[in-house]
Amino acid sequence: MNLVPCSVVSNREITQGNFLLTLKVPRGFSRPQPGQFVHLRITQDVEPLLRRPYSLEGFVERGKLRAARIYYSVVGRGSRLLSQHQPGAKLDVIGPLGVGFSPRPRRLPILVAGGRGVAPLLFLSRSLRDRKRPFVFLFGARSRRELYGVREIRGGRLHVATDDGSVGFEGSVLELLRQEWREGGHTPLTAEIFTCGPHGLLHEVSDFARENGIRCEASLEGPMACAVGACRGCPVPLLPGADSGRYPAMCVEGPVMDATIVDWARLP
Amino acid sequence: MKRDLSVRIGSLELRNPVLVASGIIGYGREYERLVSLEEIGGIVTKTVTRHARAGNPPPRVCETPAGMLNSIGIENPGLEGFLAVKVPVLRGLPCAVIVSVEGENVPEFCELVEGVDGSGVAHAIEVNISCPNVGPHGMRYSTDAGMAREVMGAIRPLTKLPLIAKLTPNVTRIGEIAEACESCGADAVSLVNTFVGMAVDARTRKPILGTVLGGLSGPAIKPLALAKVWEVVQAVDIPVVGMGGITRPVDAVEFLLLGARAVEVGTALFADPTLAEGCVSEIDRYLEKMGSSSVDDLIGGLEVPEGRGVIRAGCAPRTVRGGRAS
Ligand SMILES: Cc1cc2nc3c(=O)[nH]c(=O)nc-3n(C[C@H](O)[C@H](O)[C@H](O)COP(=O)(O)OP(=O)(O)OC[C@H]3O[C@@H](n4cnc5c(N)ncnc54)[C@H](O)[C@@H]3O)c2cc1C
Ligand SMILES: Cc1cc2nc3c(=O)[nH]c(=O)nc-3n(C[C@H](O)[C@H](O)[C@H](O)COP(=O)(O)O)c2cc1C
Ligand code: FES
Repeated sequence: MNLVPCSVVSNREITQGNFLLTLKVPRGFSRPQPGQFVHLRITQDVEPLLRRPYSLEGFVERGKLRAARIYYSVVGRGSRLLSQHQPGAKLDVIGPLGVGFSPRPRRLPILVAGGRGVAPLLFLSRSLRDRKRPFVFLFGARSRRELYGVREIRGGRLHVATDDGSVGFEGSVLELLRQEWREGGHTPLTAEIFTCGPHGLLHEVSDFARENGIRCEASLEGPMACAVGACRGCPVPLLPGADSGRYPAMCVEGPVMDATIVDWARLP
Repeated sequence: MKRDLSVRIGSLELRNPVLVASGIIGYGREYERLVSLEEIGGIVTKTVTRHARAGNPPPRVCETPAGMLNSIGIENPGLEGFLAVKVPVLRGLPCAVIVSVEGENVPEFCELVEGVDGSGVAHAIEVNISCPNVGPHGMRYSTDAGMAREVMGAIRPLTKLPLIAKLTPNVTRIGEIAEACESCGADAVSLVNTFVGMAVDARTRKPILGTVLGGLSGPAIKPLALAKVWEVVQAVDIPVVGMGGITRPVDAVEFLLLGARAVEVGTALFADPTLAEGCVSEIDRYLEKMGSSSVDDLIGGLEVPEGRGVIRAGCAPRTVRGGRAS
């Protein structure tokens, strides 16, 4: 983890309101793991004041160029400003931060993505492909337009669900997961789940995993101030029995955590 | 000309007047790679309580215009955990260590002060009698001069370390509370802690913070903090440590001009981890421009037209040491 000055290589709107930001990073930025994130200072001004956390969608090293990619949605003040940064603009970044997905899964990884939560899972799928590890990728989105990155998913089996049925299965990605589990011949000893998406989806996926005794890692989101474990502003409530009266900090013990012990109902 | 930035707060010698506030930097190591501790005066640790605290239910932080609300609830490992786990971490830090403590009652404050004194790691103790986020006892000791006197008086005989009473701004007459602390042997007062605040989500019709109320900090509170520090500087003779909304390096100079002997950098460090070092450089640059060799010439150097800016009616401001009569 370091404070590094980066410059914007490109910042493109991929689908309405969703952008792909490529940042040229210096040597001080160590090679990130899938699931890790960066803390971006979006403005030198006081409004908005705090940095914004973003998962990495990917990391490329080509010759001298080292670049980190972020896939983000415009939801409020900070992300709107971020979307206005032009190539060449300077951004000050802290990262890579946090704990990513288990780097060497021992079982077959089933990746479950919801909407823009696909970003860290794309990064994970590329790293699995590089190591020639098979995986299953289940991707749920509202419609065809939100299926960012599907064409890039190689080396694994892909199934898609859309709410409007414009592509693939019409319905929730959770249904895809149930079906995959039923028909794929998986057991908790042979497969595990890696997921990222809206908290409602993560809640459902982790309930399914817990009921079936499946290992499940989820990448969480929530408000952060320091992102380095100093302020204790980003606690994750755990289920009774798992918490021992303690809240892990999402920024240093996460953002990827064992989803089956997170008390999703108490999470913001 | 080499400029001397060192300041004294009681028997505490700081190489320069810039500290990082409690609750911002943990116990120093969390920000180790981002903040150059050897360049700043020191750090104030996260407040330690008698018993371990898990802290408040989430969400605990929420951004507001030019500021933030927090309701961390003093999450900390308790005195025993602090002594076992955090003291070894603090031991090697290349700057002054001020340990912040808070008790639920006077005996707890006493135990904490004795424990911290015995640890050998603290250069001073900041007595947090001002946290808005820990239930009914939190601010009680610094919203009532009698209670502030009770707690400061009880702990004074227990340690030779400098005691800095940290005050809440959520009172009408902060000068009186500061005087009460001074009269009971506090070596200094520090202020401000956060202002009680609230945020509402109109869409969900719910309060945003898990505890409904929280503490407001950041650039939005700087003018309020400056006014409170100004009031206290007029009320007491002991050193005042100023904070609240320091965001640009020059903000630190402003607090010193008012008469603060040192400053603490808070929330804005989250955005800019180099801020505390920036404040040190800015103070140095300012002295250079003034043609001065010592930070004492800057402290209390505010030029106020005579008779103006007196906060307590009928009470002449005391002379600010190191300052200029105007
Ligand atoms: C570890 C981590 C990784 C993340 N990765 C990504 C990513 O890869 N891509 C991406 O687009 N976003 C990601 N986020 C979420 C992103 O940080 C927020 O969307 C962003 O901070 C919103 O900032 P803003 O100023 O635009 O919104 P604000 O003005 O702060 O808020 C506007 C609205 O957005 C909501 N909001 C604020 N923070 C979040 C949040 N964390 N999640 C959802 N809604 C929020 C607020 O409740 C509010 O209604 C991640 C968050 C974390 C903690
Ligand atoms: C996240 C957070 C946690 C804090 N925790 C403490 C604490 O444990 N003890 C304390 O005395 N003050 C605590 N404070 C208050 C700060 O030390 C400081 O008084 C206040 O934030 C005002 O300064 P600022 O505007 O520069 O942040 C905390 C502030 C924040 C933002
Ligand atoms: S954001 Fe500060 S501890 Fe996680």
